[in-house]
Amino acid sequence: MTPGLAQRLDVWARNMMPSVTTLFLALPNVVPLGLPAMSDVMPVVTLMAVFYWSVYRPDLMPPAAVFVLGLAHDILAGNPTGLMALTLLVIHGVAVSQRQVFVGKPFFVAWLGFAVISAGGFLLMWIMTCILAAELLLTMAVVFQYLMTVVSFPLAAWIFVRVHRYLVR
Amino acid sequence: MASRPVSFTRVAQPVRSLWHRFAYAALVLAAFGLMLLGKADVVIVERARVAVTDAVTPILEVLSEPASSMTRVFDQIAELRDLRGEVDRLREENGRLRRWQHVAGGLQAENQALRNLTHFVAPPGPKVISGRAISNAGGPFVRSILVNIGERHGARRGLAAVSGNGFVGVVVEVGTHHSRVLLMTDLNSQIPVIVQTTRDPGVLAGDNSNRPRLQFLPQNAHVSTGDPVVTSGEGGVLPAGLPIGVITAIGDAGVHVKPIVDWDRLEYVQLLDYRIEGVSGAPGAKPLKAAPAYPIKASEDPATVTSGSRRP
Repeated sequence: MTPGLAQRLDVWARNMMPSVTTLFLALPNVVPLGLPAMSDVMPVVTLMAVFYWSVYRPDLMPPAAVFVLGLAHDILAGNPTGLMALTLLVIHGVAVSQRQVFVGKPFFVAWLGFAVISAGGFLLMWIMTCILAAELLLTMAVVFQYLMTVVSFPLAAWIFVRVHRYLVR
Repeated sequence: MASRPVSFTRVAQPVRSLWHRFAYAALVLAAFGLMLLGKADVVIVERARVAVTDAVTPILEVLSEPASSMTRVFDQIAELRDLRGEVDRLREENGRLRRWQHVAGGLQAENQALRNLTHFVAPPGPKVISGRAISNAGGPFVRSILVNIGERHGARRGLAAVSGNGFVGVVVEVGTHHSRVLLMTDLNSQIPVIVQTTRDPGVLAGDNSNRPRLQFLPQNAHVSTGDPVVTSGEGGVLPAGLPIGVITAIGDAGVHVKPIVDWDRLEYVQLLDYRIEGVSGAPGAKPLKAAPAYPIKASEDPATVTSGSRRP
């Protein structure tokens, strides 16, 4: 039996949820929150979201979606075009290939995995930024932002689990 | 006819599986390619960026509204907390400023008299365009903000952005509804400056921290902490004399400048249009013949002024 139009729309909308929520959750990364020094250490939500969905629902976070999310982040944040896109693709690739390690294990295993993989992501961004600017970027803010991202991963994951459970199914 | 959908699937299937196999590699390459194209300032990449940002600008404008009111609440709480100390500080400062007012009045009269004697042509005042910052500074990898002033409000590349009394950065990207200001703290920002007290010229280079470095000072420069730093106008992109900040540290790590601008409260931004046609002016604009030797000349030079007013 072929599903009706409404049903297909429903499935389509549910399948879009990971990308759409990621886009919206990433907006605080860009909007001025007015909190002192917050933009320096704001956790990178797109990074967490791409890791989460790549591990738990890789079918709903294909490379093309990862690429678009990364480009959107780059353009809004004023990054060099493609910087975040490349980083997210690498994180996606590693996360998908290692997902058997995380699926069905306690949460802290995924957290630890995220800490390791996102460290690689930040290192990549740092290296690419240095190469593109032809200058050594020496600021502790990169380390702080990495730590903030890792520390806030459980909170973000809590939201993603809700999205996963109620919006995606 | 009935077999058409089947044949379509049969044709699409290999393409689809090929796409699945190579999508990842292709996208990684595309990301690399975009980075290189962006670095080479390819027009189409820039156009695409501007178009996307223009489309999102209304959303960011709305979202930044509650954020700025939140800042106001935080500020008010902080103000109430140290009202007493603030009043004392202001009284003391008021007394000091009164004395300065006397001095400044005298100097202004003297200046006016000297100008009359030498038939000095005062540079035209800037056209000021005010707007709101609708994005934050962007994190450790990049320092730029979006401002809701676009081409239709008169923004163009190379304009100076100030907030309060301090210099913020330079407009590097202009869309219809927005423009992007590269902050002076960005890794890619280099601003020609001059130390106001000693007249030592230099270049203020950002390093993505809140304290940009003062580079290329002359060998015999004797700057000290607390010296004010202003734009020099060299190169003809920025006007001369915009206050930037004060020197805070001189050491092995270089000379560092603390900007006047409060980066955490960068809410309203003004773009100053001095009608200078520098290297990053509109395409087809006549560039300055040579960088002015003395900073004041950038805005004093009558040639600059007339070429500016001839613009449509």
